[in-house]
Amino acid sequence: MTQTATALEFKEATLSNGLTVIAEVNPEAKSLALGYFVKTGSRDETPQESGISHFLEHMVFKGTARRDALEVNLEFDRMGAQYNAFTSEENTVYYGAVLPEFGGRLLELFTDLMRPALRQEDFDTEKRVILEEIALYADRPNAMLFDYARSRFFRTHPLGNSVLGTPGSITAMTREQMIAYHARRYAPTNMVLAMAGRVDWEAALERVAQLTADWQPYAVHREYPPFEALPGDVRESYPKATQTYIALLAPGFSAQDERRYAAAVLASLLGEEGNSRLYWALTHRGLVESASAGHDDSDRAGLFYIYAQTDPQNEAQVVDVLREELNRLEVHGVSAEEVRRAKNKLATGIVFAGETPMNRLFSLGLSYQYSGVYEPLSEMARKVEAITPGQVNALLEAKPFSRGFLYRMVPQ
Amino acid sequence: MAFAQVETLANGLTLAVEEQPWNPGIALQLLVPVGATTDPQELEGAANLLEGWLWKGAGDLDARALAEAFDELGVRRGSGVGLEYTTFAASFLPEHLGSVLELYALILQKPRFEEALLEPVRQVALQELAALEDQPPRKMGAALRRAVFASTHGRYAGGSKEGLISATAEALRRDFENRYGAKGSILAVAGGVSFAEVRAAVERYLGAWGGKTPAAPEPVLTVPRTLCLEQDTAQVQIGLIYPDVGPAHPEFYSARLAAEVLSGGMGSRLFTEVREKRGLVYSVSASPQGVKGFSYLLAYAGTTPERASVTLEVLRAEIERMQQGVSMEELERAKIGLRTALVMQEESARSRVSSMARDLFMLGRIRPLSEIEAEIAAVDLERINRFLAEHPYQNPWVGMLGPNLTKHQAQSA
Repeated sequence: MTQTATALEFKEATLSNGLTVIAEVNPEAKSLALGYFVKTGSRDETPQESGISHFLEHMVFKGTARRDALEVNLEFDRMGAQYNAFTSEENTVYYGAVLPEFGGRLLELFTDLMRPALRQEDFDTEKRVILEEIALYADRPNAMLFDYARSRFFRTHPLGNSVLGTPGSITAMTREQMIAYHARRYAPTNMVLAMAGRVDWEAALERVAQLTADWQPYAVHREYPPFEALPGDVRESYPKATQTYIALLAPGFSAQDERRYAAAVLASLLGEEGNSRLYWALTHRGLVESASAGHDDSDRAGLFYIYAQTDPQNEAQVVDVLREELNRLEVHGVSAEEVRRAKNKLATGIVFAGETPMNRLFSLGLSYQYSGVYEPLSEMARKVEAITPGQVNALLEAKPFSRGFLYRMVPQ
Repeated sequence: MAFAQVETLANGLTLAVEEQPWNPGIALQLLVPVGATTDPQELEGAANLLEGWLWKGAGDLDARALAEAFDELGVRRGSGVGLEYTTFAASFLPEHLGSVLELYALILQKPRFEEALLEPVRQVALQELAALEDQPPRKMGAALRRAVFASTHGRYAGGSKEGLISATAEALRRDFENRYGAKGSILAVAGGVSFAEVRAAVERYLGAWGGKTPAAPEPVLTVPRTLCLEQDTAQVQIGLIYPDVGPAHPEFYSARLAAEVLSGGMGSRLFTEVREKRGLVYSVSASPQGVKGFSYLLAYAGTTPERASVTLEVLRAEIERMQQGVSMEELERAKIGLRTALVMQEESARSRVSSMARDLFMLGRIRPLSEIEAEIAAVDLERINRFLAEHPYQNPWVGMLGPNLTKHQAQSA
């Protein structure tokens, strides 16, 4: 358990090849977690590469010059590792947790994997797995909703790119494209190795320096085109849907912007399950199966999102109520009481975010990657605690929700 | 290593506390043995409706005041209905323990159950049920379980459309009186708090909780068969249910380790054979599941229609091949996998209270982690292989959901 704040120690170093290594060391933890946070995702893909970041994430586990796919999987299992990876619009993260005695082996394995072999035969087999994954999500309208909504909200901005890609883009993809993409994006300067829990910092740092001695430093570029949200309303039918799914996206705040804390408070009081404006206006009245809101801070961009799922016959009423609530929020602002309650819940969430090294790893790695600054949970809690109703209301002055984009996915 | 202290209070409520002095938070789970299996015949979904309705006000607090009272304390809360029980989970800071228990006591003992607020609860439940159509894996799973049990264990936890529509406020209030009670309920707590503190607070706020408890029904099984549900989906969903041994069986950990060999990590047999070598699926798994009185292995795979037959074939072949035994290397990997999962579970108070409550419900006691570790260590190769030879996975119930199933079935026959 990591919260005895005094026992936590933060470490950071940058190797000569440009790889940044950080750790939040907690000698009292029973496990350790580590992960490579690669600053690359669908926003960094060309249209011909749609889905390649995620496909590459799968291929990384297929082995290296030193080990084949089966050997990789067996090695993880021999350590009893709990591990996985994910790809988003802007990050690819490989992570795992083990008992402390296996820390060195886990580090060795993940570091080796960052330089995958990308064999043709594995590429062809895994392509079929990716196509299965796309088919799986196609059967779940609620999983497709945000893909479609984002692509329209962001228009030509790369943050609207699909993470999974399409059957067409995946089928056409070649191994050579992937090798080129990997070479372009997986530079040590574009990666952070983060560790949390019972970490032997000195040993880990020395080991990773040895393991990456032949990695070459070079610069990686990310495009940050300007983004202007276009308000609007799109309604489309989805043949597989029997329910109606609604997404509303509105301009928010980036991961580098301190206002993201106030934005999190605003999203919570707007759409937290069980007690929020949308809960009382929609769920409590039985108009929707569920409704929620959140704030997503990305690299130099951010957005508020609202999700609602309802019976098709309620669609018009749900949209009316939603607009009414958002309008009321922008016109009248928030109350001191609701800000206080939202802050209380967020503070408890922050305490439990540090409960296990694996939980802690994600916010540690991601926030460092965005800002280059270590933020202990105690500091995050302090920032949440300091939010005032005035700061939340200031966010509403720009009328973000009036500039929002409403996307409805309805049955045919 | 921490261990849980357990005591059954005079009113029949079982209290379990694991002291974690290093933990700045508290997690709590209250398990009430009210689920779909004990819903009255004409009231399928009553447990689900009651769980939703309970949040709509208690004592002097209306729905909003109740929710705000929890939020004032910074409580992260959740609740849910399953086949056999309803759970209420909360995490919060230790100084609020008494206030949090006081709120739960109010909900359990003085629900307002206002008739006007039942209708929205019903609407949400009906929409959840309708939304199953848009979640093919869950829809297939629900249909498969219904095919396995002749008893009420085959029900969908959320209820049936007929039951949800016909439930009246009066019938539900009566049902609440008949089923919600301290006896048989379990309160598990873990975190930075002492057993004595928790016990005193529970006595104070929940000591007077009375009520009845329904008798749990015995599971009754059907004859295994194959179930095909036609639906125009991109993927075919495949589910298999094999009878397995339960937690009270002396070879329970042999079975757990076998499931780990089959589907524990990415080096496991199913992942290797079905996904890695053949690329047939994105998702494939087999996991031990169960209700009180019947344990089973649930296997799952999702694949596109052209590959459904071969996927089912490989899946079955791998599971049924287990009777030929596992290798020493596989057993060793399975052991370390299970042990690691246990240690990591202990690091999270929220997952710990959930397993404490479930242990008490299923077994009547909490297995100390040291005991589980010893049990796992005691399974050697000869023992697990003897177990697998004597308890082969065979004769499953099979569920499939997708397009043109009969055509593909016919081709593969």
